[in-house]
Amino acid sequence: MSNTPTTRLRDMLDIAQDEMIMRDRIADILEQGPRTIPEISQALGYPTREVTVWLFGMRRYSMVEEIGRADMDGYFQYELKKQSDPA
Amino acid sequence: MTLNTEKRPPLDYDVMIVGAGVAGMEAAASMGDMGYRVLLVEKNASIGGRAILLSKVFPTLDCASCVVTPKMASVSHHPNVQLMTYSEIDGISRKADGSFDVALHRKAAYVDFDACTGCGKCAEICTVTVPDQYNYDLVTRRIAHIPFPQAVPKKSVITRRGEAPCTFTCPGNVKASGYVSLVRAGRYKEAFNLHLENAPLVGSLSRACYAPCESDCTRGEKEGTLHIRGIKRFMADRYYAEHPEPEYGPVENRLDTRVAIVGSGPAGLSAAFYLARQGHQVTIFEAEKEPGGMLRTAIPAYRLPEDVVDRDIKNVTALGVDIKTGYRITSLPELKQQGFNATLIATGASDENGLDIDGHDLEGVMGCMHFLHEVNIGKLPDVKNKIVMVIGGGNSAMDPARAAIRMGAGKVMINYRRGRKEMPAHDWEIEGAADEGVELMLMSAPIRFIGLNGKLVAVECISMELGEPDESGRRRPIPVKGSERVISVDMAILAIGLLPSTAHFPADMKNGKGLLLSDPQTLQTSDPDVFACGDCVTAPTMIINAIAQGRRAAFYMDRHLKGESLNVPFDGVIEKTDKSIVLEEARHFVERQPVQQPMLSIDERRKTFECYEQPMTEAEARQEAQRCMNCGECSQCMECVSVCAPQCIDFAQKPIPLSLNVGTVVMSTGFGILNPATKPLLGYDKFADVISGPQMDRLLAPTRPYNAVLRPSDGKEPESIAFVLCVGSRDHTVCNPLCCRIGCMYSMKQAQLAMGALPMADITIYTIDVRAFGKGYNEFYEQSKSMGIEFVKGKVARIEQLGNGNLALHYEDMLGKGGRNIREHDLVVLTVGFLPNTNALALYKGSELAADDFGYVREIDPISEPTRTNVDGLFVAGTAIGVMDIPDTVLHSGAAAAQAAAYLERMRGR
Ligand SMILES: Cc1cc2nc3c(=O)[nH]c(=O)nc-3n(C[C@H](O)[C@H](O)[C@H](O)COP(=O)(O)OP(=O)(O)OC[C@H]3O[C@@H](n4cnc5c(N)ncnc54)[C@H](O)[C@@H]3O)c2cc1C
Ligand code: SF4
Ligand code: SF4
Ligand code: SF4
Repeated sequence: MSNTPTTRLRDMLDIAQDEMIMRDRIADILEQGPRTIPEISQALGYPTREVTVWLFGMRRYSMVEEIGRADMDGYFQYELKKQSDPA
Repeated sequence: MTLNTEKRPPLDYDVMIVGAGVAGMEAAASMGDMGYRVLLVEKNASIGGRAILLSKVFPTLDCASCVVTPKMASVSHHPNVQLMTYSEIDGISRKADGSFDVALHRKAAYVDFDACTGCGKCAEICTVTVPDQYNYDLVTRRIAHIPFPQAVPKKSVITRRGEAPCTFTCPGNVKASGYVSLVRAGRYKEAFNLHLENAPLVGSLSRACYAPCESDCTRGEKEGTLHIRGIKRFMADRYYAEHPEPEYGPVENRLDTRVAIVGSGPAGLSAAFYLARQGHQVTIFEAEKEPGGMLRTAIPAYRLPEDVVDRDIKNVTALGVDIKTGYRITSLPELKQQGFNATLIATGASDENGLDIDGHDLEGVMGCMHFLHEVNIGKLPDVKNKIVMVIGGGNSAMDPARAAIRMGAGKVMINYRRGRKEMPAHDWEIEGAADEGVELMLMSAPIRFIGLNGKLVAVECISMELGEPDESGRRRPIPVKGSERVISVDMAILAIGLLPSTAHFPADMKNGKGLLLSDPQTLQTSDPDVFACGDCVTAPTMIINAIAQGRRAAFYMDRHLKGESLNVPFDGVIEKTDKSIVLEEARHFVERQPVQQPMLSIDERRKTFECYEQPMTEAEARQEAQRCMNCGECSQCMECVSVCAPQCIDFAQKPIPLSLNVGTVVMSTGFGILNPATKPLLGYDKFADVISGPQMDRLLAPTRPYNAVLRPSDGKEPESIAFVLCVGSRDHTVCNPLCCRIGCMYSMKQAQLAMGALPMADITIYTIDVRAFGKGYNEFYEQSKSMGIEFVKGKVARIEQLGNGNLALHYEDMLGKGGRNIREHDLVVLTVGFLPNTNALALYKGSELAADDFGYVREIDPISEPTRTNVDGLFVAGTAIGVMDIPDTVLHSGAAAAQAAAYLERMRGR
C-alpha cells in the first residue's frame, strides 16, 4: 500500500537559489492567465513543492497574488500582480 | 557575601541583559523602570525572540504580536534601556569588585541603521535568495533583509560570509559573483555596469582573460567550475549589441588637472577610465598606429576580434579621454613641459628576448611579438605549407603556433626544453593547440639555426633532461650529449620571454631587469608626479593584472592630484570565504553539470580566424549562472546600493568591538529547537507535508509565509491534519528525557486555530498523555475536545507516503481496540522537543557557568533563590533554565530583575 521514497527532499537552499530564474519562467506562464500551483508545475516541468517555494517568494515581493478562495480541490489560483504605474 | 566596593570606577551600565526575547525584554523593562541603566544585547537583527514569530498564545488565544510588540516598543523607547541588536558577546568575566567586564562586538550589517528607513527596497531588488529562518525555512528571503514585518529596529541587514572565491582570486577583484548573480536574475545591463566598476575592458576580458576566477570557483569541487568567462561573454556581447555606443559622456565636474598616460594597453586604458571618471583631463600617448597595446597587437583574432577591442576602447574615450596614436614618448620632462600635472607610465613589456645562437639573424627567424603583430595588422607572413617551429612553452608560444595553423602552415611544432608538466602555458591552451594539430617537441632545445642563402632551412636541436630545481623552483634542463639532430624548418618563431618596454626611461627608475620601480601599494615612482603600472612594472602577466594595476594607479594618482594622503588602503576586499563551509552546506545539492560552451569544429578552427568559442545563448548563460552557490552570501551585485534612497548601504563597515564594565548580568538567551529529522522514521526530511510545530505556528500567524494555511508540497488546503506530540521529548533515543512543557498546549492552540482557518478539515492529535497543568489549561483541553478535535492516545512510530501523496501514520493504539493501526492524513505536524542553548554557557569566561543535567543554565537554588547561578552577580531568566511558556517566562524574568537589583544595591553598599 505504501510507496515511501527513500530519498531526501531536495535541499531548501538549493531550491531557493533557483528562484531568480524560476520566477521569470513562472511570470511567463502567469502572463497567459491565472493558474494553480499544480498547473504552474505542469507547465514549468518542476515539482509542486519547488513551485510553492518560488511562487511564495514571488508573492512576498509583490509579483503575484491569489484570487478569491480556494477551488473545490483546495487550490488557489495565482495571477501576476498589476505593478503600479510609475507615472 | 561581601563585595569589595572601594575605588570602583563608574560602571558603563548597571546591568547587561543578554538576549532580547520575552525574558530579556521583561527584565530590561523592569530594571529600567527601577531606574537602572540597562544594556540589552541581542544577537539577531531584531528583538522579540521566538515569541514574536508565534501565531497566537495559549490559553487566551491572544494574538502573539499583540502580546509581544508592546514589550518590544517599550524597551526600544525606554529612556533607561540601551538596545544593542545584531551584537554578540565575546566574553564575560567577573572582577574582584563584583562587577563584570564584557567584551562584545556589533556585527557589520553593511547598513547604516541611523539612516535606514526600513523601506525594504534593498530586499526587493536583491539577487540572492536563501531560506528564511524567521519562517523556519518555509519560504525564501533575500540576503538584504528586514527580519520580519514587526522587527524592532526595523532596519535592513546584509549578511556576508566573506569575499566569494571567484571575486577574491580575480587580480582586479572584478565582482564575478555579482555579475553571475545578475545574469542569473536576467539583469544583463546591470551586470555589465557592475563590471565597469572594476574593469572597463569587459569585452576583451570576456574573450581573452585567462580567468583565474574559474580556477578557484567552489563549484569546481563538485561537478566542475562555473564558466564565469562564458557568462561574461554572453553579457558583454549582449550589451554591446544593444549599445554600440556607451550610454554616458564625460563627467560633469571636469577638473583642471591634466594627466598624461604613456601607453594604451589595458593598464593605461584602465587608469585613463578611472581618472577621467574623477574629472581629470586625460591624454594617452601611444607609439603604435592604433590603441589597445597587446589586445590589438598580440592576441590573435580567433581569441579576441578587433571590433571587440574597438568597442571596449569607446568605454574609455566616451569619458573624453584623448588618445594620441603614433606618438612615442621618449622623455618624461617633455610631458611636464607640456603642462601635465602627473604622468603614468604603462608601456607594457613587448620587447623580445633574443636567442643568441648561430643563425639568429637569418631570414625566417623572428620573435613571436613581431609575428603576431604582422598577423594582427593583416600583413600575414607567408607560412602556407611551410614547416614552422615555435620555440618556448608559455602562453605566448601557443598564440603564434595556433595562428600559423590557421594560416595554412604545413606543419607546426612547439619546441620546449622541459616536459609537458613544466609548460607554463594553460592546459586548455596546450590542449586546444594539440587538437588543432600543433605537435609538441618536448625536452628539446635549439642550438643552431641553419641557413641557405641567408634563409632559414633547418634548426639543429639537442635533447634535454631535467636536473636539480633552479631558482624558479622548476627542474633545470640539461643538454644530453650526443643527442643533436637537424630538423628541416622554414620559419622559427621565438617565444622565450618578453622584456619591459622601458628603454626611454631614466636608469634610476628601473631595476636590473629594466622593470620600472614603483611603490607596490601606490604605484608612485621616485618622482612623486610619475606613477608606473602594468607589465612594465610587474613583468609580463595577464590582461586583468594590468587592468587592476591601472585602476590602482588611478586611485592613488587622483588622491595625489587632489593633494590627499596616499597612506590609505586601496580596495575594501574582505577575507575569502571558507569554501569548506559552502561545500558542507551544499552537500545535498542536486547535481548540475556545467553547460558546454559551444565551439567551432576542429576542422573549421584550422581554417579560420573566427572566434573558436561561440557565445552561449541567453538560456545557457542563465543556466550556467544558476550553478553558482553564492559563496559569499551577498554576491556584491550592488543592486541594493542603486535603489537605497538614503544611501545607507555601506560595504566598508567592519564589526565594532567594545569593552564595557557592568554591575550585573542577566542571561536570557532562550532555547533551541530539536531538528525533527533526528527521528528519521517520521519522515521530516523526506515528505514535504511533514512539518514541525514552529513551522505550523508560522502557517497560522497573520504574517504567514503563504496566503492561507496550505500544504508545503503543493499549496493545497489540507483536509486532514495530524499533530504528533512528544517528538524528541521524553525520548532517550535522542538524549532528551525532558518533557517540553508546552508541546501539548501549543498543539491544542494550533489545532483550534487550524479549525478556525479550515472549518472542513479533520484534526487529530496523537498523544501519549495530555499535560495541561496551568491555570485555564485543562479548560483549554476540554474546549479543544468539544470543538471536535480528536485525541488519539497512541504513539506514532512511523510515517510513510501513499501513492496519492497523502501520509500514512503507523501508530500504536493505546485505547480503543489497541494494537497497531494506520491512519491517513494530508498534513502532519511534529510537536518537536526543545534543546538548551548551550552557547550561553560558553559566554562566561571566568570559572565555569554551571549547567544542569540537561545542559540548561543551572539555578543553584530554584526554590528559595530562583534565577541565581553559581556565578555571584550573574543571573538567568526565562527559558535559558528550561523551556516554559510566556506567562512563566515573564514571571521568571521579574524574579531575575529583582535579584539583579538586589545585587546592585548590595554592591553599592546599601
Ligand atoms: C512552536 C512554539 C509555540 C509556542 N506557543 C506558545 C504559546 O502559544 N504560548 C506561550 O506562552 N508560549 C509559547 N511558546 C513558548 C514561547 O515561545 C517561550 O516561552 C518564549 O519565547 C521564551 O522567551 P525567552 O526570552 O526565554 O527565549 P527566546 O524567545 O528564545 O529569546 C531568547 C533571545 O536571546 C537571543 N540570544 C541567544 N543567545 C544570545 C547571545 N549569546 N547574545 C545575544 N543574544 C542572544 C536570541 O536570539 C533570542 O532573541 C511556544 C514556543 C514554540 C517554539
Ligand atoms: S533600501 Fe536602504 S533605507 Fe530601505 S531598507 Fe534597505 S537599507 Fe534601509
Ligand atoms: S549587493 Fe546584491 S546580493 Fe548583496 S545584499 Fe545587495 S542586492 Fe543583495
Ligand atoms: S560558486 Fe559562484 S560565488 Fe562561488 S566561486 Fe563559483 S562563481 Fe564564485
